[in-house]
Amino acid sequence: MYAKRFLSLAFLALAVLVSACTNYKEPAQAAITQAETALDAISVDAQKYLPDKYKEVQDAIDAAKASFEKNDYKGALAAAKDLPAKVSELGTEVKAAKEQAIAALTDSWNSMSGDLPKMVDAIQSRVDMLSKSKKLPKGLDQATFDAAKSGLDEMKNMWNAAQQSFSSGNVEDAVAKAKSVQAKGSEIMASLGMQTAPKT
Amino acid sequence: MEDQSKSTGSGADNPYAQYHVVKKGDTLSKIAQEYYGDAQLYPQIFEANRDILKDPNKIQVGQKLRIP
Repeated sequence: MYAKRFLSLAFLALAVLVSACTNYKEPAQAAITQAETALDAISVDAQKYLPDKYKEVQDAIDAAKASFEKNDYKGALAAAKDLPAKVSELGTEVKAAKEQAIAALTDSWNSMSGDLPKMVDAIQSRVDMLSKSKKLPKGLDQATFDAAKSGLDEMKNMWNAAQQSFSSGNVEDAVAKAKSVQAKGSEIMASLGMQTAPKT
Repeated sequence: MEDQSKSTGSGADNPYAQYHVVKKGDTLSKIAQEYYGDAQLYPQIFEANRDILKDPNKIQVGQKLRIP
């Protein structure tokens, strides 16, 4: 009689426990899945613009998953319940950081796109003059001059590529290419004995 | 900052334009020899500085000449 009652109570307790676990399990799973899906959607930009904050959120998701995998659904839910909001907040911050970065890149582009064609013109002018010369000036040999001429062609091609990148909306690539053009131009100017620092 | 508004041609608004400040004993031929290795190219320097030079044989110490 007692044994039967004891078993009934034990069964009831187990049922309550299972029920309680089930009550935590589904919302925990849902919160983790929602957070993971949302984080996946912004992961590329988040890792690029706010890597530390991305890692912080990723670690929080991992911690919630670890609890879940240990069947600690209550702990998992406690860890996961704020995750969707954190990911959403991260998304907002990433968007702002990206806009700020793009604005800075656009400023760089605007500055370089005004200057670099002038740099090309200055080098072209000197190359044209040296090409008319019967003899190269002291300190400049033929091999260096030939390298400067081919470097100038390369510079023009790079500049065209940078402009194409900008036209297609890839500001980051355009600025990277423009910086290469600038570096190449400085190298050529130095090799021709020209002053490389732009006058302000 | 020295006023470069009197520089010639495209050099006036080109931050990469090249200049030579005339020193004692300079002539356009010497300057052409220095920058191009060919004194015969001095007329090119003269033409690039027509706004400040009236005579290729008359340059003054301190003048800032654009070197194409």
